Amino acid sequence: MRLLTVLLTMGLALAPAAAPAAAELPIFDAHVHFSHDAADQIALSDAVAILRKAGLKGALVSSSDDAGTQKLYEAAPDIVVPELRPYRRRGEIGSWVRDATVIDYLEARLKRYQYAAIGEFHLYGADADLPVPRRMVELAKQHDLMLHAHSDADAVERLFAQWPQARILWAHSGFDQPQKVRAMLRKHTNLWADLAFRTDQASGGKVDAEWRKAFEEFPDRFMVGTDTFTPERWYFIGEHADWSREWLKDLPPALAERIAWKNGEDVIRAAFARRR
Amino acid sequence: MRLIALLAAALLAHDAAGGLLDFTAAELRAIERHGPWPPPAPRDPSNRVSGNAEAIAFGELLFFDTRLSPNGAMSCGRCHQPGRAWTDGRRTPGGVIGATGRDALTRNTPTLWNAGFGRWFGWGGGSDTIWSFSLRPIRHPLEMGSSAAHMARTLRADPELACRYRRVFGEAGKPDEALLVDVVKAIAAFVETLVSARSPFDEFRDALARGDRDAAARYPLAAQRGLRRFVGEGNCSVCHFGPAFSNGEFGDIGVPFFVPSGVDSGRYAGIQRLRADPHNLLGRFNDRPGDAGAARTRHVQLQPRNFGEFKVPGLRNVAKTAPYMHDGSLATLSDVVKHYSELDENRLHTEGERILRPLRLSPQASADLVAFLESLSDTGRYVSGAPSRCASRRVQ
Ligand code: HEC
Ligand code: HEC
Ligand SMILES: [Zn+2]
Repeated sequence: MRLLTVLLTMGLALAPAAAPAAAELPIFDAHVHFSHDAADQIALSDAVAILRKAGLKGALVSSSDDAGTQKLYEAAPDIVVPELRPYRRRGEIGSWVRDATVIDYLEARLKRYQYAAIGEFHLYGADADLPVPRRMVELAKQHDLMLHAHSDADAVERLFAQWPQARILWAHSGFDQPQKVRAMLRKHTNLWADLAFRTDQASGGKVDAEWRKAFEEFPDRFMVGTDTFTPERWYFIGEHADWSREWLKDLPPALAERIAWKNGEDVIRAAFARRR
Repeated sequence: MRLIALLAAALLAHDAAGGLLDFTAAELRAIERHGPWPPPAPRDPSNRVSGNAEAIAFGELLFFDTRLSPNGAMSCGRCHQPGRAWTDGRRTPGGVIGATGRDALTRNTPTLWNAGFGRWFGWGGGSDTIWSFSLRPIRHPLEMGSSAAHMARTLRADPELACRYRRVFGEAGKPDEALLVDVVKAIAAFVETLVSARSPFDEFRDALARGDRDAAARYPLAAQRGLRRFVGEGNCSVCHFGPAFSNGEFGDIGVPFFVPSGVDSGRYAGIQRLRADPHNLLGRFNDRPGDAGAARTRHVQLQPRNFGEFKVPGLRNVAKTAPYMHDGSLATLSDVVKHYSELDENRLHTEGERILRPLRLSPQASADLVAFLESLSDTGRYVSGAPSRCASRRVQ
């Protein structure tokens, strides 16, 4: 026991030394999952070490089920911003929209814990108007939460139709063309977009011309994200942060900072702070 | 019971007697694209002894020579065994090298059949030529554990090797490092010659191409049905493309990639390794620097999707190369087909046009796909091409 304490203290003492250099651009990772299989295969302490080593200032974390998120939040409250996924297990991506028990689950979790958002959920086209998603939107409204939607533009429109004041983080920027993303951002002032699992915004450290226009027109709306959709991709968090730093260098520093972490802090962490 | 037996016999007879599915024009075109076989012999412009008969014979000797490893126990041929379709038949080479656990090699030994048609080497494609790849097992402490110095010493001390070296490359008086690069170029020249022979599938494909229905009907119906699914609904041909059944690139089909020390990020680490490799095609060891291959290497971009992608393996002789996948985690072809049949979509992150989806195959459909994969086996055997001794011949 003594030894363990000593080791732990040593670990803590060493931690600042292992932290990234001050010059390194902080990153707010707006797309992290810590689902049951990840929690089973990656020790909590390893997971936290991965976040710290990557130099993350913040991380919007969700998981199927929510237990992983809560554990991670408890272990690293300075980094983790929790969001609530409407999934209890992996594999509910396609079925949740017609599963009324999802609502019971959301209600139970919302009674117990605080979140910045509901998501990330998968929702396409007319499915957005099914009873379960509608009820989920009502819950978000009731609890003043953002929505993190892995959706096509059609479903995003339907969500705004249901709740015009909704604040939506559009996962993967809808995997849409930058021109279309710009049009959506122009139309909806309460829409933000993460760039997770996209590869077209930059290549070889150079920002794509169309994307550059989008970033310049909407400096306050974009965020980066890893998307740890398999447990293995936890090991990509650090690589992703470095990869993002690399292409962000091609933007003016103020704009790079906004996309790297300031938008995440100003929008997502602020949403969480309001709840607490 | 009698009736069932009779029916079964009748079905079997029908199968044996053959028949030809009514392939559509689109299917016929898709099938035709998997040939003709064999294509012209592969050549590597970055290797000045590629295709050189003396170099090939020299390379063959080196490939099997355990003296190249300091402990005298390991050679390329210990892991890439001709009798096992140039694999070791194991999940990973742990047993071959006598190391297991955290320190073991975590990747499956791939076949070398048709390697010469590839453009990236290793499951993560960390090398852009066979010769530069070969430096890895030579130096790796868990593989041959050798060095340029050991290699050069062995070569200079042995009259036979020294003689062969001289005939291919001239005097052996260069720096050890340069000598080592010559050695792997000779080995690569040999590896390139490992082109598999024709398979039942090739007979079928060519018969279809020339409109010979009788000959085509000799190809078992089960294999025909499997092939139809392979080029059709299964979308297998998208990745397992062309005569060698590989598009030469990388994909993520949802195979887990944890290893004891973390993850094997496959193509992601492969690109990082490729770029850092002084022996890549952009380096000074490329014998023809301006070539298209170098441009390919220059243009490789590191992308998030590369994390967890592995090389699309060619499928010729695949029935002889069990176990399967980059980590050897699937024991049989039936297991592979089951993997595609029950694919875990949560592990895939493909947007837009989905290439992969769980096929949910019936037992019959699974067996058909296996029958097709088995029809890609040739009946050829490796015959050593090494000519008579060099040192005893009078050479000038
Ligand atoms: C200890 C077993 C072992 C030895 C010895 C060994 N290999 Fe391999 N070989 C492997 C494994 C495992 C891989 C896959 C490595 C990877 O993906 O990183 C491989 C991959 C390859 C590949 C890439 C094939 C492809 O299509 O991607 C080539 C070429 C190759 N080996 C040639 C050689 C040569 C030449 C030698 C001798 C100099 C050699 N190997 C020695 C186990 C071995
Ligand atoms: C998206 C590209 C892609 C598609 C489509 C695809 N494969 Fe594969 N295949 C791969 C990759 C990549 C691997 C290696 C994965 C690994 O090692 O983790 C592989 C491995 C295999 C193997 C194992 C070979 C070996 O030597 O280990 C077989 C057999 C195979 N695929 C057959 C099929 C069949 C049959 C289909 C259609 C049902 C198919 N593949 C569809 C990319 C693909
Ligand atoms: Zn997503």
